[in-house]
Amino acid sequence: MDRSKILIVDDNADIRLGMQLRLKANYYETCFAADALSAVAEAHKHRPDLIVLDLGLPGGDGFTVMESLKKIPFLAAIPVIVVSARNTPGNQNRAHAAGAKAYLQKPVNDAELLAVIRQALAEAVGMHSPALYDRESL
Amino acid sequence: MTIPTRRASEMPASLAHELRNALACIQQFGNILVDGLAGELSAEQREYLGIMLENASKIRKAVDSAQDGTSRPLEEPTNKIERVSKLEN
Repeated sequence: MDRSKILIVDDNADIRLGMQLRLKANYYETCFAADALSAVAEAHKHRPDLIVLDLGLPGGDGFTVMESLKKIPFLAAIPVIVVSARNTPGNQNRAHAAGAKAYLQKPVNDAELLAVIRQALAEAVGMHSPALYDRESL
Repeated sequence: MTIPTRRASEMPASLAHELRNALACIQQFGNILVDGLAGELSAEQREYLGIMLENASKIRKAVDSAQDGTSRPLEEPTNKIERVSKLEN
């Protein structure tokens, strides 16, 4: 079975570990980054199928990560799901404008996160038409 | 006058951010335990974890209310009497 690989980008080690346990239990491979610079480097190294991205990061933020990814042709198409403790509609709109497939607010419901991940991965391989997803639309 | 006003509005957002991150960890690992990803739990352990998660959820609602400026009342626990009696036994 070909397991999808997910890059988890969060500066909180506990959240990275918790997300890894949950994703592994659902048969995903995981890799990690804890800051904006290493997020792009790890994406370059591992070529993940999807990125779960926090916004508040050392060395930049999630928006700079998305901007950097868009400039690299073979990374530009990787679906990004933003998972942030920030709550302002401005951040959500900005994330969508930057190309995020979804914006989920911490603390995230596990079932919701997994559903969004499955949907984004399915879209990435052309099984569904592209769309944006929010907590409200699920 | 401008600076204190701005700080007053920024502090809750900063606090809410920190609380949400902490709550994310509590709920994440609580659910990992409840779902048996770290091994099987006894019925009693599951019950206590359920109480913990229920209260984490209440904190989250309080944070949401505080941040959006509303004052929604929190739900009263429905199993309070049962818990008291278990502790006494």
